[in-house]
Amino acid sequence: MSSLKAYIVTRTLMVIPTVLILLTLVFFIMRILPGDPISAMVGQKVPAEVLERMREEAGLNKPLVIQYIDYLKGVFTGDLGNSMIWGRRPVMEEIMDRFPATLELTIFGFTISVLLGVLTGSIAAFRRGSKADTGMRIYSVVAYTLFIPWFGMLLQMFFGVYLKILPIGGRITPGLAPDHITGLYVLDSILTLNLESLETSLLYLFLPSMTLGIVLSGAYTRILRNNLIDVLSQDFIVAYRARGVREWKVVKHAMKNAFIPVVTLMGLQFAILLAGAVLTESTFSWPGMGTFLLERIEYRDYNAVQGAIVFYAVFVALISLIVDVIYALLDPRIRY
Amino acid sequence: MAKHKVLVVGLLLLAVLFFGCAGEKQEAPKAEVKTITIGVTDKITELDPANAYDFYTWEVMNNIMGGLMRYKPGTTELEPFLAESYEVQDGGKVYIFHLRKDLKFADGTPCTAEDVVRSIKRVMELQGDPSWLVTEFVDKVEAVDDYTVKFTLKEPISYFLALTATPPYFPVHPNYKPDAIDPDQTAGGVGPYKIASWVRDQELILETNENFFGEKPKVDRIVVKFYKDATTLRLALEKGEIDIAWRTLSPVDIQSLKGKEGLQVIEAPGGFIRYLVLNANKDTEYPTKDKLVRQAIAAAIDRQEIIDKVFMGTMEPLYSLVPNGMWSHIDAFKDKYGDGNIELAKQLLSQAGYSESNKLKLELWWTPTHYGDTEKDVAQILKAQLEKTGMIEVELKSAEWSTYTDYARKSAMMLSLFGWYPDYLDPDDYTAPFLKSTANNWLGYPYADEEMDKLIEKASKATSTQEREELYKQIQEKLAEDAPIIPLVQGKLTVVAKSNIQGITLDPTMIFRYYLLDIS
Repeated sequence: MSSLKAYIVTRTLMVIPTVLILLTLVFFIMRILPGDPISAMVGQKVPAEVLERMREEAGLNKPLVIQYIDYLKGVFTGDLGNSMIWGRRPVMEEIMDRFPATLELTIFGFTISVLLGVLTGSIAAFRRGSKADTGMRIYSVVAYTLFIPWFGMLLQMFFGVYLKILPIGGRITPGLAPDHITGLYVLDSILTLNLESLETSLLYLFLPSMTLGIVLSGAYTRILRNNLIDVLSQDFIVAYRARGVREWKVVKHAMKNAFIPVVTLMGLQFAILLAGAVLTESTFSWPGMGTFLLERIEYRDYNAVQGAIVFYAVFVALISLIVDVIYALLDPRIRY
Repeated sequence: MAKHKVLVVGLLLLAVLFFGCAGEKQEAPKAEVKTITIGVTDKITELDPANAYDFYTWEVMNNIMGGLMRYKPGTTELEPFLAESYEVQDGGKVYIFHLRKDLKFADGTPCTAEDVVRSIKRVMELQGDPSWLVTEFVDKVEAVDDYTVKFTLKEPISYFLALTATPPYFPVHPNYKPDAIDPDQTAGGVGPYKIASWVRDQELILETNENFFGEKPKVDRIVVKFYKDATTLRLALEKGEIDIAWRTLSPVDIQSLKGKEGLQVIEAPGGFIRYLVLNANKDTEYPTKDKLVRQAIAAAIDRQEIIDKVFMGTMEPLYSLVPNGMWSHIDAFKDKYGDGNIELAKQLLSQAGYSESNKLKLELWWTPTHYGDTEKDVAQILKAQLEKTGMIEVELKSAEWSTYTDYARKSAMMLSLFGWYPDYLDPDDYTAPFLKSTANNWLGYPYADEEMDKLIEKASKATSTQEREELYKQIQEKLAEDAPIIPLVQGKLTVVAKSNIQGITLDPTMIFRYYLLDIS
């Protein structure tokens, strides 16, 4: 087996204990906290005996260890169980209802952050010491420290209320959702050639993904600037220039070398992006996983919270795996 | 260098493309279809009346379904809806409803007595959250013929007609799963609107039900958009994304939207109440088990200050658990203690053995999200009011909702803030669940008083309204005397709408009837 293949297999296998540990922690922490989903959902009015029966039906009166074993059995057979509140829908169904929205926002936010970060970082590095450099460095610090709900609201006020050109909240104009293929509205609109849906879904995406993208771009600006400056002063660049290699070729080589830490950051950012998406989702009423998870934690919907976290963990682990593989491809020295 | 110029141009083009698309094209295009968009911060939990038990979902159900009886819009008066008439027999133990003969579900399937019976039996068998509204009272329900439904009750209940106006009694389409809760079912029942589309947490689109027996709604299409918070809801209204902002804008937003050009703010009393629970559990060490302490707290509270400072006039003071405007209501607490009566509070505290050097130490609990962002302020004002006596020291404590309800049931909170939405509009729903010793376990404070139990029992069975009224007055007076619960405020309903919207009808049922709306 080639070393790259072995690396991928090892990294994939490492996902399993990571998810298992996380799942176990979430399982027990949720249950140690006071309160349970049944009494939180029904609130006050339901008679005690009905409450007891509902708890029994949900398996909450079994010993904790049995509940844990039952849950693990389910997870290994791909069954994340049923939500414990509001309709007791299968958790997988609940997740699949919301995950495409988060994924779509994440992809757009991520792309914007990388584009902005690379653009501002390169400007700063190539014009080191200039006013543009100072400007970009200030941008990176300001962007990094922006509080998403505050910044999001500013954009809502300006583009929504004042200019009235972009929607305030939601994912698409009611009634215009494209036929469900992937759940990603932009992609589904393209696949079904529904231009009206494409246009509105892009409009609704603009402010939330811009908010998320700008806030996350600051880190890229900074890291790319520093690395580019570092690379540009290295011998091989000096040698290229001395030999009269065209500037764009020099830039290409410099960028390729400076990009390695950026790729690492991209992997790490994905987890941060999902956390940032929680704030962005609630600011823009984006119907994704973030708000779902927060709501279900409040209501102690054990299965939904566990399911969402396992799902997230697997997703983030897969992304890091992909990033690591790209990393290994970019820099063949990195094989563990 | 050339490369990054390309990137800049590319980004600019992308921005132009986005803004180029941005015009006034965000509303659905069908201009000939009369549409009203309503924004809410609530959510639909599930579309099965056998299990749905939250205020907003019940509102939607009232627009796509209906019961044998309903509240006459704008009033608290009951009138036959799916029934043409009804008879009460056997001393109030048997209710017979004669159905209209033109009842149809939205797809044209006729709705008969058999459907009513099937739906109610389904609720009883599935035993979902609100099923107790049927199972506690109904012994048997049967179809006498195609258009006659007969209920035999376990015992006579004076407010049974009000119960038949609640969703667990609404007939549902045969498409609903007979033996399981069907949370995503959109077939609905017999109502003025039908569901055209529903995307969980995003949008609900209602269209006129062509098969509805009554007057057709004036607006063909109602779109409900779900927002996550009050701020976004307000911005959406200002942007024009929605025509009506319904539940719930924050008091500050309502205040600032008043008088804005192009908008109308409509207010009406609501049946939603807020109250303070005092742990009267005799088995605990809490000082609140002493009646004098409870009475002192009741005297010290100044409701108007809470309303002015926290709710900015979007609530009204409440001096009884039975809300203002409901028959039998009396201002029992005001009559007994006044409002913000610090002198009386001091006097009562002294009698209970407290002084400025030996202060009464209280723990006041509140929950951060369940009752909105204003809750912390309510708790802080109450603390200040109680401490004004100079003989009380209050420690504020909070817990999120699931923990909060758990603590309540375990009797682990000394003083705690709660709220109540009615199931049915009758004084019984505002007294029995709190004060009847067999029904108030959820509050974890076994306030048990034999005399109170007898009064409630008697009031729930009495057939004469005059007799009931007298009994509920006695119950309210006794509540003020014992003070295990102190009523604080009653909610007002507020709708902020564009000025071209007509037909907004609010009443204490708190159900917003979309089918009465119109647009000019």
